[in-house]
Amino acid sequence: MALPLEGIRVCDFTWVIAGPTATRVLADFGAEVIRVEHEQAADSIRLGRPIVGDQPTLNNSGFFNYFNRNKKSILLNARHPDGMELLKRLIAKSDVVVENFSCGVLESWGLGYEELKEIRPDVIYCSISGFGHTGRDRAFTTWGPTAQALSGLTFTSGLPGKPPAGWGFSYMDHTAGYSGAIAIMMALHHRNRTGEGQHIDMSQVEAGIALMGPAVLDATVNGRSWRRDGMPPGNRTWQPAVAPHNAYACVGEDRWIAIAVMNDAEWQALVRAMEEPEWALDRRFATNEGRLANQDELDTRIEEWTSELDDYEAMELLQAAGVRAGVCQKPGDRFERDPQSRARGWWHTLMHPELGECEHDGVAPRLSKTPGQLRMASPLIGQHTHDVLREVLGLSASEIDDAQASGALM
Amino acid sequence: VTGPLADLRVIEICDELGQYAGKLLADMGADVVKVEPPGGSTARAIGPFVRDIAGPNRSLDFWYHNTNKRSVVLDFEHDDGDRERLRKLAVSADLVIEDRAPGALKALGLDYEALDRDRKGLIHCSITPFGQDGPWAQFRSSDMVSLALGGQMNMNGYNEEDAPGAPPIRGHGDQGYKTACHFAVMGILAALLHRDRTGEGQYIDCSMHEALNSTTEVGLPYWFYKRENVIRQTTRHAAARKTERWRYAGGDGKDVLVYGVGRDNASWKKIKEWFQSEGFGKQFDETRFDDPRNRQPARGSPEAGEILAEVGRFFAAHSAEEIYRGGQERGQAWGVIRSPDETLADPHWHDRGFFVPTRGEGLADDVLMPGAPYVLSATPWELRRPAPKLGEHTAEVLGESGIG
Repeated sequence: MALPLEGIRVCDFTWVIAGPTATRVLADFGAEVIRVEHEQAADSIRLGRPIVGDQPTLNNSGFFNYFNRNKKSILLNARHPDGMELLKRLIAKSDVVVENFSCGVLESWGLGYEELKEIRPDVIYCSISGFGHTGRDRAFTTWGPTAQALSGLTFTSGLPGKPPAGWGFSYMDHTAGYSGAIAIMMALHHRNRTGEGQHIDMSQVEAGIALMGPAVLDATVNGRSWRRDGMPPGNRTWQPAVAPHNAYACVGEDRWIAIAVMNDAEWQALVRAMEEPEWALDRRFATNEGRLANQDELDTRIEEWTSELDDYEAMELLQAAGVRAGVCQKPGDRFERDPQSRARGWWHTLMHPELGECEHDGVAPRLSKTPGQLRMASPLIGQHTHDVLREVLGLSASEIDDAQASGALM
Repeated sequence: VTGPLADLRVIEICDELGQYAGKLLADMGADVVKVEPPGGSTARAIGPFVRDIAGPNRSLDFWYHNTNKRSVVLDFEHDDGDRERLRKLAVSADLVIEDRAPGALKALGLDYEALDRDRKGLIHCSITPFGQDGPWAQFRSSDMVSLALGGQMNMNGYNEEDAPGAPPIRGHGDQGYKTACHFAVMGILAALLHRDRTGEGQYIDCSMHEALNSTTEVGLPYWFYKRENVIRQTTRHAAARKTERWRYAGGDGKDVLVYGVGRDNASWKKIKEWFQSEGFGKQFDETRFDDPRNRQPARGSPEAGEILAEVGRFFAAHSAEEIYRGGQERGQAWGVIRSPDETLADPHWHDRGFFVPTRGEGLADDVLMPGAPYVLSATPWELRRPAPKLGEHTAEVLGESGIG
C-alpha cells in the first residue's frame, strides 16, 4: 500500500524525545527520515533504559527503539569540512530539516534558516525548543517535566492539600512532538500549493500553555486562579461540576477503576448497576447538586462497593449498564489484557539486529487507503551512512572511501 | 487569511471530544463550519462561564476550543430537510470531522461511504473513544475514563508516604481529548498530503484509546523489554525503581523542579558561586566536593546530603521564581510549578506575542488567552474571529453555499 508521506525526505537532527517523536510520526506515515548522528555526541536516548544486556552500547536501548523506528541513521562529522559539505548536500536533497537543540545551536554551525534557504530555497525548517527562538528567555532550556511545570499542566494534576502529582511521564515531549509534526505537515501543504518553504519556531512551553486555555480564561475573565483552596481537585471534576467522578479501589494490589457520572440518568444507571443499595436511594444523592455537596460520603460508599469487585468485571458490569467506567490500566494490562487493542491488531513486532524481535505499538490514526506502517526497527548508529551517501547523494564507492578515510564520517 | 490551510473547507460535527481538532485547523486558516443541533453543542454547557452565568454563548471552555469557526444550526437528527442541507454542505467540503458514536452518522446517511459517492476526494475523520470496531467500540467514555484505560493515570500519582492510599491521578485540561485531536489532525494532514499528490480522499478512524496508548513515554518500553510495570511517584516520572525527588519548596511556598544540583563541574562552579555570594555553602570549597560522583544524591555520599541540606536552606530564603531564574541563568533546566494563570505574568511569552486578545458575550473589554502553539514564518497562526455564537452563521453559510 502507498504511504501518505512517500517522497518526503527529512534531515533529522533531533535527540532525546520531543524531536524524535515528531519525526517518528513523519516516518510512520512514510517519510524518509535520516537521523544525522555523531558518535562522540550521540543522542543520550541511545543509552536510555530499558536496555537489553548489562551495559548500554548505543545500539541496545529499547527506549531509543521505541521512538526511532522507521528511521535511518548516518554518521557525519559536521566539524570536518568534508563532513559539513556532505551535510549541506543532504540538506539540498531534503524537504524538511528538523532539530530540537537549544536555541542558537544550529546557527552556531552556520546552519540557521537563512543559510538553509541558500542551500535549499523551499526548505521547511522546524526548530523545537523550550522557549522558542525569540523573547528574553530564549536561552533557557527545558526537559519535558520543566515544560509541564511552566505551562500549568503539573499544577493541575494532584490532590488538594498535597504536592502536585505529576504528570508521571513527559507528556509535553510527546505533545511538542505531535505539534511539531502537525506544523511541518501544514507547511508541506502550503509548499505544495505555492512552492514556498518556511521556518517553524516551536516552543515546548507554549505548546503546553495552549492546552490550558479555559483555566487561563477563567483568570482573565473571572479573576480566578487555580491556586486556591480545594484546587486542584484530584480526580473530581473542575468543569463541568458533576459527581461522582473519581478512581475507586478494587480487589487486588493497586487495582483501580475510574467512574464518571455526568448527569442524573447516568447516576440512576450506576445505582441500578450497584443493585440499588439503600444508601444510594437517599434523597441527598438524587440530584447533581446534592451529590456534589456530599461527595466525600458518596466516594466512600462507592468505594465500599468497588472494593469487593475485580476491576475488569466492574468495568464490564458498569459499561453494560451505560455507565462510563474504565480500569486504570498498567502498561502490562494494556499489552496482555486489553481486548480492544488486541482485537484491532494494535501490537506489532519488528526485528532489530541487536535487540531481536521487538514489540511495538501501532500507528494511529488509521487511514483507510494509505495507513501508516511499521517497516523497520530503529537504526544502529550509522547503519545507513553508505546507503544514503550512495543513493541520496550519488557518491561513488571510492568517494565514500575517501570521506571515510578523511574522518568526515564519524 | 494567513494560515497554510486557507484553501480548506471543513464541516465539523463535534462536541467535547473532537472540537479541538477543528480549532487546530481553523486557527491555521481552514474555513471550519461547525454544525450544531438546535440546542447547541453539549460543549456550550461546560463551564466556567462569563461571570458564572450559564448560557450557550458564555462558556469559556467553548470559547477557547472553537476559535475561528462559524456556527450553523441544523436539526439534522430529526429533520429531513436539515439532514439534506448538511449532506450538501458536507459534499461541498474537503474534510468532515465528527465525534459521534460509531454508526450514528451512518444511520443518518451521512457516513463516509454515502458522502464519498457524491464528493470524490473527500477526507472524513471520525474521532471516537475506542475506534469504529472491537469489543469496546460502544463503551462509553469520558476524558478521565480514557486516561485510565490509556495508561496515563496509572503512571501518575503519589508515593505511599506522601499520600497514603491515594488513587492514580488524572491531570486536568481534557488532555485525553486533546491527544485524540492531535492524532486526528496528524492523520488528516497526512491524508491531505496524499490528496495533494493523487487527488484521492479517504476515511480516517481515530481512536482516542490508541492515541493515548502511544503517549506514555517509558511505560510501554519497560513492559516490552523487561516485563516490568513502572510505578508512580510524587511529582516525578513513574519508574521501575524509586528515583530521587525533583520537587523542592521555595520560601514563598511555591514549588520548583530541580534535576540534580551541579551534576557537571561547569554548572557546579556557577551554583557554588551563587550560593556562596549569599553566604550559603561555605564548605563547598573543600576538595571533597570537587568529584561529581560525590555530589550525586543517589550514591548516598555525605557530600550529597550536605548539598541537599544547603539547597533546602538556600531555597527557603528565596521565592520559587527567583530559584527558577537563577538556576536557568546558570545553565540548569530547572522549572517553577505555575498554575495555568500564572503563566500570564511571565514577560517572555508577551515578548513572543503568545497571549492573544479575544472577546464575547458579557464582556465589555478584550481578555487574553493562549495563542499559537507553533510560529510559522510564512503562514502564521491567526485569530480571525472569536468562537461563534450559536447559529451565528446559519444564514451566511447556507446562502453562500446556495442551500435554501
